[in-house]
Amino acid sequence: MTLKKRLLATTAAVLVATAGAVFADAHATHPVTGEALASDQTFTYRVGDESPSIDPGLVEDVDGAAVVRDLFEGLYNQDAAGNLVPGVALSHAVSDDGLIYTFTLRDNAMWSNGDTVTAGDFVYAWQRAASPALASPYSWYIELMSIENGAAVIAGDMEPSTLGVTAIDDTTLEVRLSQPLPYFPQMLTHGTTFPVHQATVEEFGNDWVLPENMVSNGAYVLTEFVPQERLVRERNPMYWDNDNTIIERVVKLVVPDENVALTRYLAGELDMTDVPAGQFPRLSAQYPDQAVSVPEACSYYYMFNLRDGASPEIQDPNVRKALSLAIDRDIIVNNVLAGGQKAAYTFTHWATAGFETPDIPMATMTQADRNAMAVELLTEAGYGSDNPLSIDLVYNTNDSHRSVAIAISQMWKQTLGVDTTLANQEWQTFLEARSNGDFEVARGGWCADYNEASTFLDLMQSESGYNDSRYVNAEVDALLAEAKTSANPQANYDRVEEFIAQDTPIIPIYHYAAVDMFAENLEGWPYENFEQTWYSKDLYKIAE
Amino acid sequence: MLSFVFRRLAVAVPTLLILVVLSFVLMYAAPGGPFNSERPLPPEVLANIEAKYGLDQPFWKQIVNYVSGVVTGFDFGPSFQYKDRSVNDVIAQGFPVTLTYGFWSFVVAVTVGVSLGVAAAIKQNSWVDYFAVGVSIGAQVLPNFVMAPLLLLVFTLWLGWLPGGGWNGGQWQFLIMPVIALSTSYMASIARITRSSMLEVLNTNFIRTARAKGLPMRRVIWKHAMKPTMLPVLSYLGPAFVGMITGSVIIDVFFSTGGIGQFFVNSAFNRDYSVIMGITILVGTLTILFNLLVDVLYAWIDPKIRY
Repeated sequence: MTLKKRLLATTAAVLVATAGAVFADAHATHPVTGEALASDQTFTYRVGDESPSIDPGLVEDVDGAAVVRDLFEGLYNQDAAGNLVPGVALSHAVSDDGLIYTFTLRDNAMWSNGDTVTAGDFVYAWQRAASPALASPYSWYIELMSIENGAAVIAGDMEPSTLGVTAIDDTTLEVRLSQPLPYFPQMLTHGTTFPVHQATVEEFGNDWVLPENMVSNGAYVLTEFVPQERLVRERNPMYWDNDNTIIERVVKLVVPDENVALTRYLAGELDMTDVPAGQFPRLSAQYPDQAVSVPEACSYYYMFNLRDGASPEIQDPNVRKALSLAIDRDIIVNNVLAGGQKAAYTFTHWATAGFETPDIPMATMTQADRNAMAVELLTEAGYGSDNPLSIDLVYNTNDSHRSVAIAISQMWKQTLGVDTTLANQEWQTFLEARSNGDFEVARGGWCADYNEASTFLDLMQSESGYNDSRYVNAEVDALLAEAKTSANPQANYDRVEEFIAQDTPIIPIYHYAAVDMFAENLEGWPYENFEQTWYSKDLYKIAE
Repeated sequence: MLSFVFRRLAVAVPTLLILVVLSFVLMYAAPGGPFNSERPLPPEVLANIEAKYGLDQPFWKQIVNYVSGVVTGFDFGPSFQYKDRSVNDVIAQGFPVTLTYGFWSFVVAVTVGVSLGVAAAIKQNSWVDYFAVGVSIGAQVLPNFVMAPLLLLVFTLWLGWLPGGGWNGGQWQFLIMPVIALSTSYMASIARITRSSMLEVLNTNFIRTARAKGLPMRRVIWKHAMKPTMLPVLSYLGPAFVGMITGSVIIDVFFSTGGIGQFFVNSAFNRDYSVIMGITILVGTLTILFNLLVDVLYAWIDPKIRY
């Protein structure tokens, strides 16, 4: 090729490429909003650690669940506000006694290899998720859904084939429950209930989740999976709603250090990352369109050890209440954390669906009044400057937990003269100490499994395995049991929260907020969705 | 010589066995377990999981099963934490990454370190010496967990020359910052050891003789001084090489390389017993092998050393 020819060829190539890009940019607009779309539709986001699994039957963490929601599709999806929208199921009917759900599936749902998604795929997936052979840590979710024989299958007393789920025909799925469960359909957006492709799972065993083997039915297919480094998924042309997918490629990068992630975000390598603790005020001032704080479905609290034989001082409810009153939560959320968290006087997160925060007297008092009341209660209990109370407070090793603990121990010291010994423990050690009752006061954090107040308040149930305080109150148990079947359980929840405020088995401190940086051109993020259930297929990037 | 190698290898087997048993015992003695979490699992679910991973068997049987799996099939078992992978997968994935950046760090550390050390010794008390010593002290006192974010700030955020992390199959752009961050402190140590060793060698009689008979300086250094100089350096390089190729959690954390260091530390936090054991055995074996290699090289460099 002569130089001239080469130049011509290059010019032609450049022209074609440019024309193509212009064409793409000029014509690609969002089908609903009409916004001009960017030519590069790659969404890159950061997670802090590798997920234990991306197998729908085994998935157990939030980041893994997001991957599973992109690769697979269950009966229902959530929209931006958290409402149910059709996924593989178009609709369902419920029997009068609330025990039998009959789902009608769409006939155009496909696996990425071209097979049709059938009711039988769901039956297989659910039986697999419950089976002792898979031994999924999330098999309890099947039990939580109250599916007939679920508990017995998990315990190995019955065959997985006896699970209360049947394919009537390819597009009709019947589910039988052991008790009516008003929020059953809401539970179907979790990965545990998603279908898997039986032939693939049986052929490849554990390796079926590798990119070269996986067959999936979601809006994306897996193309790269390097543990602790990256996971890439790309548009699935076989997905029934592929025409409305805009993001072409989704890249999940594992970046363990959140400050490194922020640097990489600012260098333009990431479209989304977490805001490191304490940096929200600076970042939201500097990048007001990018730093976003939304409520996150978790509560932060301190728990008292109420077991027999635990320290006698904290068995006095007045002492516990005094300690709760003396914590200035506004200082914790505004000065220590400063990320849009909210002061908590109830255990249930304020933004939980259908929950109205009851009037807890402490919440409306001024901090000066709270402190006065705290001093009074503690004096009554027999502690003062001549007989100071001393408390051991333990938390799991983490900078943010340490800051909160130091602030609170200062508040207790200044207001009440309480001497606090702080100790931090590595996570596993901490969990063991807490469940063995080897503590006086310990840090706790609880995140909602589903968007309803009982996901928090059930921890106060005497027999709950998560009740590390070992708070025992028959009235609370009765209220919670009644709430399960009640059409409007708010009154019960109010009463339970009042018991928590009065008996103080735990001290609610704050309600979490999720604080993230989002690239300016990224649209479609479901900020309104309290559980932060997002789908890459709903996101898009606009042209700058 | 050959019998020495065989003897050493024979000793290595019980050493490794002791390492395995000791790690196993210590690991189980640590509080918590691989399936503990903030939400304790219902007992029947936990029972299923423990049965699947053989944790329901008596402790001695678990050790025996484990060791026989490793010895007979080179099978390190499934990862308890990463349920989609086996320990062999984890090592096959992470070790080549670490080996690559570790190897290049070693090359850089040795080349730069030895050059600086030799130059400083030959030109003792000149500006070359002060410069070399200055650089190596500077590199020594700047820990890599400080250097890594600084490199990121300069080369990724300000200059935009290099990607801020990841591995991407090991392309060179992704290698540069990990290699710089990992090699500097090793480089500094090598430079200091080389300098003092070379200074000592240069003052010995055989070097004085070589110079007295009129050999050019270049020849004296390369032909006569270099070999004895390298002896102390070599004993440092064996463990240093193993240290570099078996991973630095700092590098993996700051540059998101996905190497074995990150897996190792996470497995300890997660009580991922099988991954802890797998990587411990890997590091242990490499340490034993490279110590042996260093001893063999010793004999090759210094004819006075005989085993």
